[in-house]
Amino acid sequence: MQAQTVYGALHGLQTLSQLCQFNFSSRVIEILMTPWIINDQPRFSFRGLLIDTSRHYQPLPIIKNVIDSMAYAKLNVLHWHIVDTQSFPLEIPSYPKLWDGAYSTSERYTMADAAEIVSYAQKRGINVLAELDVPGHALSWGKGYPSLWPSKDCQEPLDVSNEFTFKVIDGILSDFSKVFKYKFVHLGGDEVNTSCWTLTPHVSKWLKEHSMNESQAYQYFVLQAQKIALLHGYEIVNWEETFNNFGNKLSPKTVVHNWLGGGVAQRVVAAGLRCIVSNQDKWYLDHLDTTWEQFYMNEPLTNITKSEQQKLVIGGEVCMWGETVDASDIQQTIWPRAAAAAERLWTPYDKLAKEAKQVTGRLAHFRCLLNQRGIAAAPLAADTPLTQPGRSAPLEPGSCYLQ
Amino acid sequence: MWVLGVTERRVMGAFWVLNLVLFLVQVVGIKGAHGIGEHGVRIWPMPLSVSHSHKSLYVGKDFKIMSQGSKYKDASGILKDGFSRFLAVVKGAHVVDGDTSKLDQSRVLQGLNVFISSTKDELQYGIDESYKLLVPSPDKPTYAHLEAQTVYGALHGLQTLSQLCQFNFSSRVIEILMTPWIINDQPRFSFRGLLIDTSRHYQPLPIIKNVIDSMAYAKLNVLHWHIVDTQSFPLEIPSYPKLWDGAYSTSERYTMADAAEIVSYAQKRGINVLAELDVPGHALSWGKGYPSLWPSKDCQEPLDVSNEFTFKVIDGILSDFSKVFKYKFVHLGGDEVNTSCWTLTPHVSKWLKEHSMNESQAYQYFVLQAQKIALLHGYEIVNWEETFNNFGNKLSPKTVVHNWLGGGVAQRVVAAGLRCIVSNQDKWYLDHLDTTWEQFYMNEPLTNITKSEQQKLVIGGEVCMWGETVDASDIQQTIWPRAAAAAERLWTPYDKLAKEAKQVTGRLAHFRCLLNQRGIAAAPLAADTPLTQPGRSAPLEPGSCYLQ
Repeated sequence: MQAQTVYGALHGLQTLSQLCQFNFSSRVIEILMTPWIINDQPRFSFRGLLIDTSRHYQPLPIIKNVIDSMAYAKLNVLHWHIVDTQSFPLEIPSYPKLWDGAYSTSERYTMADAAEIVSYAQKRGINVLAELDVPGHALSWGKGYPSLWPSKDCQEPLDVSNEFTFKVIDGILSDFSKVFKYKFVHLGGDEVNTSCWTLTPHVSKWLKEHSMNESQAYQYFVLQAQKIALLHGYEIVNWEETFNNFGNKLSPKTVVHNWLGGGVAQRVVAAGLRCIVSNQDKWYLDHLDTTWEQFYMNEPLTNITKSEQQKLVIGGEVCMWGETVDASDIQQTIWPRAAAAAERLWTPYDKLAKEAKQVTGRLAHFRCLLNQRGIAAAPLAADTPLTQPGRSAPLEPGSCYLQ
Repeated sequence: MWVLGVTERRVMGAFWVLNLVLFLVQVVGIKGAHGIGEHGVRIWPMPLSVSHSHKSLYVGKDFKIMSQGSKYKDASGILKDGFSRFLAVVKGAHVVDGDTSKLDQSRVLQGLNVFISSTKDELQYGIDESYKLLVPSPDKPTYAHLEAQTVYGALHGLQTLSQLCQFNFSSRVIEILMTPWIINDQPRFSFRGLLIDTSRHYQPLPIIKNVIDSMAYAKLNVLHWHIVDTQSFPLEIPSYPKLWDGAYSTSERYTMADAAEIVSYAQKRGINVLAELDVPGHALSWGKGYPSLWPSKDCQEPLDVSNEFTFKVIDGILSDFSKVFKYKFVHLGGDEVNTSCWTLTPHVSKWLKEHSMNESQAYQYFVLQAQKIALLHGYEIVNWEETFNNFGNKLSPKTVVHNWLGGGVAQRVVAAGLRCIVSNQDKWYLDHLDTTWEQFYMNEPLTNITKSEQQKLVIGGEVCMWGETVDASDIQQTIWPRAAAAAERLWTPYDKLAKEAKQVTGRLAHFRCLLNQRGIAAAPLAADTPLTQPGRSAPLEPGSCYLQ
């Protein structure tokens, strides 16, 4: 085997592991159908899985199990959506009361835990994209620092009028930079309901003083956060609303993270910005009614034909939002549908199946391989309306390969 | 000091003694002495006796195990491996990088002294699983003390100790709160089982090992392996190598070495493996490799009672079993036998006539023949309850009857002088997704059995994870936490069990979260909506593990 980097070699080992099987007669491991000549490289450089540790805390062993499984499918970015409205589980040394927003004292990650995750992932060729979603999705920050809320009765988004808000963001990103070494940091910016800014007197006053309406304040916030992140040496990823609302104001190297639907990626790259594709109608794992076939057929370069624009789509990501996902069901909700997307992101376009059903057998085989490696990947088949494809239990007795 | 020497007491007057007693009561805690009051005690299952106080200790960086004075030599490394696993689970959820040398050294535990009185490491039905755990040791305050009769009692003690440990987010070390702990513990029942079914769905080895790990956390001690059934025959049988042609596919099989691996993995964790060969029903898959075992091509169950070959095969299988499955018992099934194929198939019907048997006598004959064969291989036998219900007085007298159909059976079995394992399906079938953890908890094996000599005949109970809708993707979330509820019912003394299940909600939720922290996909306790079946609920909404 040869590779440019050790991470290429790791991918080669993965492939080699899939050529090996146990021979029940000789009781040794065999490789059938040699000689094999395999040349391989990914189509996209960014092949991600988002996990959400705010809606439910995920213990370290579970996150490690997820990372293991990502490596089996050659995914290479763990997008860690660490904090959100419901809980703030991460230690922030600069502002130690932030993790008072955790669900409980034990449902927290120390910085050493975070470093452990980064290290565990790195050994498997997986980058960790840390997300600090601002200014929305940040209610939990105020548990430890209530002045971050516009008011006690109006707790989102983060108070744009408060200098302290940006000091805290700076502190967090400074702490991040010691542990999260991926080139990018994700600053969120999605689903910002600014009404608390206009409803809260001191914030409303600040808006007037700065001649901003709500949406200009949103823009201001995002751009301020961007500036801080840039000073810490990061390149920035933002959710697509930032582009949709003020795309031409974003830092020019911003990577826009598409999630709302199709058709966005093409506009992003037409504007000269890079894009990560996660359109929710096809690549949201928490949408239990989305089938693996839909995951497989979701083409990131849809309607993007110019080669220089195609290059701006750096890749895509499937998203395992955590509202109904904890340690008990995370893996069966991620797999096998994430594997379908993993092939869409790795395999050259002309080698992808034109119809998903053509790969049913091979995906079923991969799913059984995951099971054999202790990954609780769900069956492919979901026949009845009551069984959601996203988390189906096997309907009846049968072979793994046929379910 | 939490205990006073004789000298001190002698010089005290009655007044001081009284004050002392009151002081000790406050320090040791009446609530701790009984342990029913859950306040502070989060051990699952609840030990026989627990007392604790209020002092925190830390687990030292190089916490080690010592065996001063212990008779047990640990030649096979069971204790050493158990201690490694203890350290791994205790340190698995967070990076433990605090420096214990900076702490008050009188509060840092340097190690655990383990004293085991038996030199043997044989795992078998009825061994002594008791242990006594003192944290800290009264003689050596910077050590914890564990004593047990057998290494398997010591493993249970390590489990309990692991549940006393938690990560301290300030000091970044492992701490043990509420010491001194004085725990005396032993199980109420000797047979505390979980059934898995690898015929309806193949379960890969890593998944079975994960299940075994989780059983040890709840102090279950029998893995009842329902290996083959109608749908598939996944196990290698060297005596009859075509039997596993009945597997779902060539890869969905277990070699004998795989089976031995499972037995060995379980044994190291104090878990016996009860192998089941269900005959004569539930055996359609046998005929894939040997069609003559079927009454006919068109009528494939039960196994052909008229064919001598049938009993040769059973003998071969049990012979191969005996090389790998060393538990005292073997399970011969005998449930749900629909004998119509025997009367419908001419050569079998002829045989019945020749032997003056009707269908149900033939069923009895089959079961008793199989029993004889198993006895010759040195096993004691477990059979499902239909065998008792139909011809209980004909069963081998040492047969253990496995109750599953419903309540009220155990009392009849023990009244007849036979032993019983309780698995009544209305409460202890894990594949019944509508059965709640509360129902699992409240299912009392000795219901209506009041005579002490009859109570002894109930050797224990078992929760059953039938595999029709269970594969590697959902087995653990369907087993846990409900199996834990039953595990306490089987371990904890009757008078220490909660009288209402809701009293243990917090402690069970805590245990469920502990399972999650150890990489076991235990499901949430709560299932609010009709659509969410308690047996396999996903969390309904964001929230803390401890509240779901």
